[in-house]
Amino acid sequence: MRKILTYIALASLLTLVSCDAWLDVKPYDKMSQDELFSTESGFIKSLNGIYIELNSDMLYGGALSVEMVEIMGGAYVIGTDNSVWGNYADLAEYEYGTDYWRARLNETWNKAYSLILNCNLLLEALENTGVKFSGDNYKVIKGEALALRAMLHFDMLRLFGPVYSRNPQQDAIPYYKKYSVVPNDILPASEVAAEIIHDLQEARILLANDPVRTSGTMTSAPSDGSSTFMYYRNLRLNYYAVTALLARSGLYFGDREAAYQYSTEVIDASDKGIFPFVDKSLVTGSPDDPDRIFSSEVIFALTHSQRNTLFKDYFDPSRIPNYVFRMDNDLMSSIVFGGGAMTGGNQDDYRYRVNWVATGANRYFYKYSDMVDSGNIRNTMIPMLRLGEMYLIAAESRSEDIGAGVAYVNRLRANRGVGNIQTLTRDILQYEYIRELYGEGQLFYMYKRMYTPVLFSPVASRNPQPSDAIFVIPLPTSETDN
Amino acid sequence: MRNFILNMFFLLMSVLSLAAQDKVAVLKGKVIDSADGYPLIGVTVVVEGTKCGTVTDVDGAYELRIPDQKCEVTFSYVGYDDEVKLYTLKNASSFQKVVMYMNAEQLADVVVTGVYERKKESFTGASATFKTDQLKAVGSSNVLQSLKTLDPSFKMMENTQFGSNPNMMPDIEIRGKTSVVGLKEEYGTDPNQPLFILDGFETTLETIMNLNMNRVASVTILKDAASTAIYGSKASNGVVVIETKAPARGRLQLSYKGDYGLSLADLSDYNLMNSREKLQFETLAGVYKDNTGDPFAQIRLDNLRNERLKEIERGVDTYWLSEPIRLGFTHKHNIYAEGGEDKIRYGIGLSYGNVGGVMKDSDRQTLEGNVDLIYRTGKFQFSNKLSINWLDVTNPTVSFAEYAFANPYYRKYNAEGGVDKYLYYPEEGVDDYPVANPLWNARMNNWDKATGFGFTNNFIFEWFVTEELRLRAKFGLTKQDDDEQTRLSPLHSQFDDMGETEKGLYAHTQIKELVYEGDVAVTFGKLFAKKHMVNAVGGFNFSNNHRQVYGYSATGFTDDQFDAPSFANGYPVGDSPDYNESLKRAASFYINGGYAYAERYLLDFNYRLDGASMFGTGNRFRNTWSVGTGWNIHKEPFMKDFDFFSLLKLRGSVGNPGNQNFAAYQAFSTYKFNGWMTNIFGTGVILNALGNTDLAWQETTNYDLGIDMTFWGERVNMTFDYYWKHTDPLLAVITTPGSMGVTSVAMNAGSQKTQGWEASFRISPVYRPSEGIMWNISLNAVSARSEYADIGNSFSALNESGKTSLVGTTRYYDGGSPTAIWAVRSAGIDPATGKELFIKKDGTYSFAYDVNDEVVVGDTQPKIEGLIGTSLYLKGFSVGCYLRYRWGGQVFNSSLFQKVENIGTQEVYNNQDKRALYDRWSENNREAYFKGISLVQRTEKSSRFVMDDNSLVGESFNIGYEFPDRIARRMRLGAMNVQLTMTDVFRATSVRVERGIDYPFARTVTTSLGITF
Repeated sequence: MRKILTYIALASLLTLVSCDAWLDVKPYDKMSQDELFSTESGFIKSLNGIYIELNSDMLYGGALSVEMVEIMGGAYVIGTDNSVWGNYADLAEYEYGTDYWRARLNETWNKAYSLILNCNLLLEALENTGVKFSGDNYKVIKGEALALRAMLHFDMLRLFGPVYSRNPQQDAIPYYKKYSVVPNDILPASEVAAEIIHDLQEARILLANDPVRTSGTMTSAPSDGSSTFMYYRNLRLNYYAVTALLARSGLYFGDREAAYQYSTEVIDASDKGIFPFVDKSLVTGSPDDPDRIFSSEVIFALTHSQRNTLFKDYFDPSRIPNYVFRMDNDLMSSIVFGGGAMTGGNQDDYRYRVNWVATGANRYFYKYSDMVDSGNIRNTMIPMLRLGEMYLIAAESRSEDIGAGVAYVNRLRANRGVGNIQTLTRDILQYEYIRELYGEGQLFYMYKRMYTPVLFSPVASRNPQPSDAIFVIPLPTSETDN
Repeated sequence: MRNFILNMFFLLMSVLSLAAQDKVAVLKGKVIDSADGYPLIGVTVVVEGTKCGTVTDVDGAYELRIPDQKCEVTFSYVGYDDEVKLYTLKNASSFQKVVMYMNAEQLADVVVTGVYERKKESFTGASATFKTDQLKAVGSSNVLQSLKTLDPSFKMMENTQFGSNPNMMPDIEIRGKTSVVGLKEEYGTDPNQPLFILDGFETTLETIMNLNMNRVASVTILKDAASTAIYGSKASNGVVVIETKAPARGRLQLSYKGDYGLSLADLSDYNLMNSREKLQFETLAGVYKDNTGDPFAQIRLDNLRNERLKEIERGVDTYWLSEPIRLGFTHKHNIYAEGGEDKIRYGIGLSYGNVGGVMKDSDRQTLEGNVDLIYRTGKFQFSNKLSINWLDVTNPTVSFAEYAFANPYYRKYNAEGGVDKYLYYPEEGVDDYPVANPLWNARMNNWDKATGFGFTNNFIFEWFVTEELRLRAKFGLTKQDDDEQTRLSPLHSQFDDMGETEKGLYAHTQIKELVYEGDVAVTFGKLFAKKHMVNAVGGFNFSNNHRQVYGYSATGFTDDQFDAPSFANGYPVGDSPDYNESLKRAASFYINGGYAYAERYLLDFNYRLDGASMFGTGNRFRNTWSVGTGWNIHKEPFMKDFDFFSLLKLRGSVGNPGNQNFAAYQAFSTYKFNGWMTNIFGTGVILNALGNTDLAWQETTNYDLGIDMTFWGERVNMTFDYYWKHTDPLLAVITTPGSMGVTSVAMNAGSQKTQGWEASFRISPVYRPSEGIMWNISLNAVSARSEYADIGNSFSALNESGKTSLVGTTRYYDGGSPTAIWAVRSAGIDPATGKELFIKKDGTYSFAYDVNDEVVVGDTQPKIEGLIGTSLYLKGFSVGCYLRYRWGGQVFNSSLFQKVENIGTQEVYNNQDKRALYDRWSENNREAYFKGISLVQRTEKSSRFVMDDNSLVGESFNIGYEFPDRIARRMRLGAMNVQLTMTDVFRATSVRVERGIDYPFARTVTTSLGITF
């Protein structure tokens, strides 16, 4: 009797011990976090997943590159016929409160923060992992994830935050450094800025041994068929991309010295041949098939397998009678690519010759049109950071006096096939930004940073005047209601 | 934790070894059942006034050491009358064969928990037990329908949308809800659903719904912590324990039970316009008035109206509601053969049922075969129940609502007697929608059907180690495969705007489920020193539930007739196959102890340790405990002289059962591939669902105080329970700020407090059971109030969306009731202007509607509800009648809100409630309750639409006759009875709301026949 019960007790004890393992069920139809992060390749896949998702049309595959934010930057002529232009007319009037744009902005916000959550989960898994990483991979993965987190926060701050140069203490957005089920507080813009700089600097240290510094961008696959993980560095937030982000954010946050230091560091690297200026022959030598995005100068780009949809959905003149995005004719002819010494605009400009093609009375934007060699990696690139911007940042941040940076602008212009300008003014700098970064989603942030009218037309009265109403987008309702 | 378990076992063992005896003389004998002469196992045999006692073994034999003197020996057994025999030193031979008689009254007084059984008298929990006769008396459709009529704390939620659709599983609650909304929507399981136990194994609601009632022996509802805590973290919604009949001993006996029912749709809640009224309403609403200023458009509209008027003059007034309706015929049959002798008992049964719903093409066929075997040898007993079931279901493809929407001025058939696809088709160039004919869609080759096949095998092994100690091992296996298919013809009006190759739809879903459950338990029961009754059960249980769902759909059918999926053109664009899998595992230890001192002072305790795979790794194991006490006052010495009470018991319990009706992978974060793109670096993965490993599982602390009374010679029976439940924390899916990276997350937030009482009272003014004459009147009532606490702003998003939407009057605030109706108070329609006058929060009046003036204007939970019943037994003849009453609740009348006011430019083309035409404000009718007719003005949710919802429903009426033995024998039958049952006969309510939107409610008449050969 006693024996039997002892056996039962012992058996029960054994079952309980084995219980924990038995209860540890892993889903078969889903990938569990533990399983994913049990190998190095899981971390790599998760990081790559974030890069891929950046191509979403809610982010840089549309809204934050060629579409929404560029309309807000006054880049395109938006018609008034609702049946053609739909909701774009509201956005051109900066009516952020309509149901459609509220929903769109909400979607962009949610998507950006969902990727931030992905970064945070990846970073947390990196902290606690027992996986042995090969080579420098641990540091590279961690550095890139930190930089992605900072970049996404930075763009949400630029979009939804206050005009930083005027109200740095104003409440802006929350900064998420780890996953939590409790919402984080909305921080003042200056505190968000500090977090962004902190993350970027940490990422820069982690990426100190990035092969891009010694071997360049390596834009071809390894010949032995091994992993491409450490190749195509310009398609990743590499060491110089992080440096360039620090330059961009330094300028945005009013830290002129930092902006100058970081931008010139990238320029120096370029001089050493890491991001060389585009080969003239690629631009002018083959007029039918030019390297439209000046791919060698791109410090960081996304790779989007269907990038030509950007051209087809927004810029292709064959879309008519549907809407087509293009620049105002007068703006183009009298300022951006015309106007002579007063504006620096010139039709010899490579940027005009390769990217603006005439159909009928108008010229259309071909930056995102495919090259003939359709398999080329260049045809998938959505530029996120480019050398030209570094020159413009260096010019602006060289000294308090904007005129002191004229040499940087002229150096850039020399590589665009146009002559020097005599004196650099803020206006000319802005025109140069338009020439260099058109269709890359940076113009709105430039006007917001400088707090100047949005250049839509050469007629000053038609240009939207700076105000919080146009520059500060209200936070999504999901953020303020919950 | 593990140490604790070990300690519990040692404790148990030391209790067991306490038994010690001394000897003088020995009595030997056997105890048998009066009914069939078979031995009774476990009969307690004690010598009055001493500590000597024993229990009969598996052969009914006992050996009792008694003092060598005259004494009284008592034989007692659960469900049987006590047998007291005087030992006179010489009559030892009369003890060789002791016959005991079953006590029908007492048998009902055993509480079956599925894990152990206890005499109701010594049980401290709140429970209710019903026998097959009681269940059958009030209804014959299924066990749950009958339970609803017998116990008001068992609630079957009325489904306004799906009415009496026989293929719709009801929502069931015992003592109200403990979970917040949002979970059912998210996970598809009802978090308030009680746990169902069939023959000791966990089962599903659907299995119980399909179970032929004639197989059921008893149903027990366990309500409070003391009775449910043995089921631990699954128990907080209450437990329903169902035992099927075990084969009886004796020669082979064959029985047949049949039910034949007719169901009629109850359309009395529909109050639709006739053709003339509808046209008048449309005219007043301005449907035939052109706003574009185009004179030709006005002429067209005038012509349209005139044509319709002409049709009305010709007598067209189509009653569409009769079209999809039929007289539903239900028939169910059950044949059972049973028999056997001492060692082997067997039962073989076959059940078939076809429930015909009140809508055409609405059927539910079930076929079930079962084999029950019991084999006993020496100290061992093996029993096995196998059942195999098959299910075939069809549903109508056009919902009832579409017929209710059709206008009465359209003809059903065209001049040739055929059915046109459109009731109205706008002429070329007119910006107007065509109106599809529901009859056309119904006549197409569309279908919606499902089949299922499965089996359950439950095996139980019992070892009667000693008189007091029993070891039981159980293993149950269930395999169920279901297959659902729907098809819509390419000619269905839904596909009008699609390309020829995209029309038609076929969808197929396959569900495979495998469940197994095992349990080992030790049961101990002994009376020490004639006073100390000790019961103990301890065991280990594990279960595994694996479910896979496969699905795909196909499109592009070109023909109505040929409907096989092979005729499809392809898959819908962008559609991918569905595959879903869930694996849930649970392992538990449990222990239950009961102690009774001299049958007067009772103490029960339960402890259960649950581990479940759904629980986050940080919270994998969970403890459940409960303590119950009771005091049998009627057993007190001071009550001895006063035998008015045959039962007077006070009891109380407290415990913390939990709830785990949640998704399998709730605690996991899962990833998925970025399916839409890969890049030069290969594939990528992205977060799919965010798990919350720290989620604390919902837990309900449950207090119950109760009193049970039986007095006046069994004529009056009363039970009263007061309970208090505190669910803390609640588990809810909460919308979060987008910056958290997810838009909703399962979280713990706040708590809910519920208090309520239940009372049942039965009196028998005429009580002569020996003559078979009895008249009972029963009255029972339940009442409950709930409120939220500590929820703060967690649900503000739900509140906000409720405020802005046209539906939804539920709000989540601290102190607010989950069932409260929130709306702005209305002072009615201003006679002068026809505008609605609102009462602001501060009491002032305003024409301007402000959603922030919302207050509680009612509560859907009635103040009191219950049943009044009476039954009369006269020899073999019986009559019963049960009425459900509901008082003190309110309802937001959505029919008025949506079908009288708020009729927009779309809805005006549907037929509407008569009240949309009458009682509307106009210059001539200034004292109206409703606003003037308008298609553009939006009516906001106000107290004007909140109405008292008091009702009296004739839930069940029955007449039965049990043929006397001599007649039955003359017909060469063992027994025979017939019964007629009517359910939902009438319904008197204080509010008129459309019920049964997609499927009407039914009234049913059933004749039942039972024959034993």
